[in-house]
Parts: sequence; C-alpha cells; structure tokens
Amino acid sequence: MKVTPPETDDELFVRLRRGEESAFVALYRRRQGAIYRFVLHMSRSPEVAEDVTQEVFVALLRDACGYDPDRGTLSGYLFGIARKLLLRQIERGRVDVPLESDSEDAAIPELAVAGNALEDLTHREGIEALRRAIGTLPRRYREVVVLCDLEEVDYADAAGVLGCPIGTVRSRLHRARALLLDKLLNHERHPRPPVSALNPIRCLT
Amino acid sequence: MNCQEFRESIAEAGANADLLQHSGECEACAAVLADHARLCAGLRTLAADLRRAEAPKRLELGLVAAFRSQHRLARRAGRPQWWIPALSWAAAACVLTVAALFLLRPHQPLPAHRGTPRAVESASIADAPDPYTAEGDDGFIALPNARGLDPNDEVNIVRVEVPRSAMLEAGLAVSEDRVSELVEADVVLGPDGLARAIRFVDEPMM
Repeated sequence: MKVTPPETDDELFVRLRRGEESAFVALYRRRQGAIYRFVLHMSRSPEVAEDVTQEVFVALLRDACGYDPDRGTLSGYLFGIARKLLLRQIERGRVDVPLESDSEDAAIPELAVAGNALEDLTHREGIEALRRAIGTLPRRYREVVVLCDLEEVDYADAAGVLGCPIGTVRSRLHRARALLLDKLLNHERHPRPPVSALNPIRCLT
Repeated sequence: MNCQEFRESIAEAGANADLLQHSGECEACAAVLADHARLCAGLRTLAADLRRAEAPKRLELGLVAAFRSQHRLARRAGRPQWWIPALSWAAAACVLTVAALFLLRPHQPLPAHRGTPRAVESASIADAPDPYTAEGDDGFIALPNARGLDPNDEVNIVRVEVPRSAMLEAGLAVSEDRVSELVEADVVLGPDGLARAIRFVDEPMM
C-alpha cells in the first residue's frame, strides 16, 4: 500500500492562497500549538497567547502577508510574526512580565519541590521547577530555549525568527542551559522551605 | 580534548565519543556531562508535557469564519461581471445601427450658397414656389432648365443682387438702357444648392 506523505507547509500555503479552506485548516492545526505555546512561555498569559496566535493566522490570511519561501520556512515566518506581535504587546503594557530583564541570576519563583531539583527532573515537581526556571531567564535566553529546546525549531529557523546569526543562537542556547543548570543547582543548595512550613501572618486573598 | 573544549562542545554535540572519553578521564567534566544530560532529558519531558497546550478551539472557528468571509468577498470581487461586456456590446451595436441608418439614407447635401448675399433667409417648403407652376402666387418664377422640387425637399431662399439682365432670362421685359443695373431678388435654392426659382424684389412683373 502506498502511503502519501503529508503535504508540506509550502504546499498547503499555495492551496490556501487559492482559497482552499481545507489547506488553511490543516496549516492552522499543524502550527497553532507551537505558536500558542511560544507566546504563552514568553508572556505567561493565556489571553495574550490566544490574541497573538489569532493575529498571526489573520496575518497569514492577508494577501500581502509577506511570506517568501526563499527566505525561510513558513514555521519560522509564523514564529517571527508571533515574536513581533508579542513585543508590541509588551510595549503596550499588556504583558507585565519583566521580559527585558537582563538579570541572569533571578531566583526561581516559589517551587512546590524542595531539595534536588535537577535530580528530580524526571518527576513532575522537578519538571515544574524547570519550567519556572525557564520563566526566570532573560528574554534573549528564554526565546532560544523555548524555540530550540521546547519547540524543536532548528537553529537556522531560530536565527531567522530572532534576526541574528546562527552562531548567536548557539551561544545563547549554551548560555541559557548553563543558567538553567545554575538555577536548578542553586535551588538544590538553597531550597526554599515548603509552603506548609510557613506561618501565614495574614491572608491576602 | 581538554576541559575547555569539552565545555564548549557539550551544548552542541551532546554525548559523543570524544566527550565520553574526556568525561571518563575528568571527574568534573563527567559531572557536567551528567547534569547536562539530565537537563536535556528534563527539557524533553517538559516539551512533551507542554505539547498538549494548544490554542482554544474557538480560535480555529473564528479564523475559519474569517477565512470564509475573506474568500467570499474575494470571489465576489473576482467574479466576471457578465453584464458589463454584454452592455458594452449592446451599446456598440446601437451606435453602429444608428450610423448605418444615417449612412444609408438618401444623400441630402447641405445647400451651397451662391454668391455672398447680405442677408440669408431660411424658408420651409411652404414658403417655396409651387414647383409645378411656372410662376407661383408668391411671385417666384421657375428658372428655365432647373430641376423640379419635391414637396418634401428642403429649400433655402436667399436674397441676392443680380444684374437686371437676369430678368430677361426669367422671361421678363427689361429696358435696354437699364440692363446693367443691379436689382434685388430672392432665389430659391434646392437641396442640391442649385437655383430653382427667382423673385425680383420691388420690381413690377410684366
């Protein structure tokens, strides 16, 4: 039995341009998750992630969407739009996370796990610690971790999305991983007390 | 491979043979490699965990609606408007028909004005002399050898000054010593511009 390979993004894009709804739906279903998650990681806001994802695909529907297959992949193009829209949201103040923080030694926000977070990365608590540690990375490092490690975007595409050379992507990723290790090991050395050990003075909720 | 090269290549290459060999010889680098491997495993687990996170379904519904709306408009705009060329052809056919009718009508050249009359009067056929009589009630005398007029012919009457000798040609008597004098006359011009009849103004018919 002959198995037909799935259509490439570019083939779907061509059909989309011809007005075929099935191509748009297929392309959307294939790419929306990664775009949504990228924005969610960067903004930590489901509302912003939803808005940006919507705007990305609305931009794709426009006649003059500007996608050029010779300049990169469609996936990279979508991530690039998402990143620009996200930066716009930050400028408007819709994203209150300090994305532009250059501090590389921000502490991990309160974790549900105490102790060896790195050793615990096979458990849910350890994974949650890692997720939070990623959230504390400065934006330029968080971007590469989210793109390359979590969404498995290749370095060339990531370079296109971020508008920098591939070498910069590699060095940022290297630095980002080192920072993550440092944060997780530091957490291991200076664990926060479990929430149950704290004596609440006043309930603010 | 030394420790510096080990640390530089670990992020890129992962656990390859060279790295493993060096880590077997260097305890510190072995620990770094182990930490790195755990981190990468954790990132893969996190990626797999997060892969379930997707945009809400309502987003797809809204976008598909937007897609349909946009392409409906585009199709409407791009649809050939059959009535535009049809209307153009109909208009062109009307113009051609009118032009053909005009060209196929009997030729009716505009009257040529002979001489340069001081005053030109236009007159309908009602004012023209009876073409079937040599002299009408209005004093017009049909010129000899002139073609007769059809009742539907449009004529022009022009007032001109002519030598009194012209009265001779119309069959009127003229005193010989006054032959060279000029007299006023109304001349009937047919549709071809040729004179058909003449009436001498203020001259008694003899």
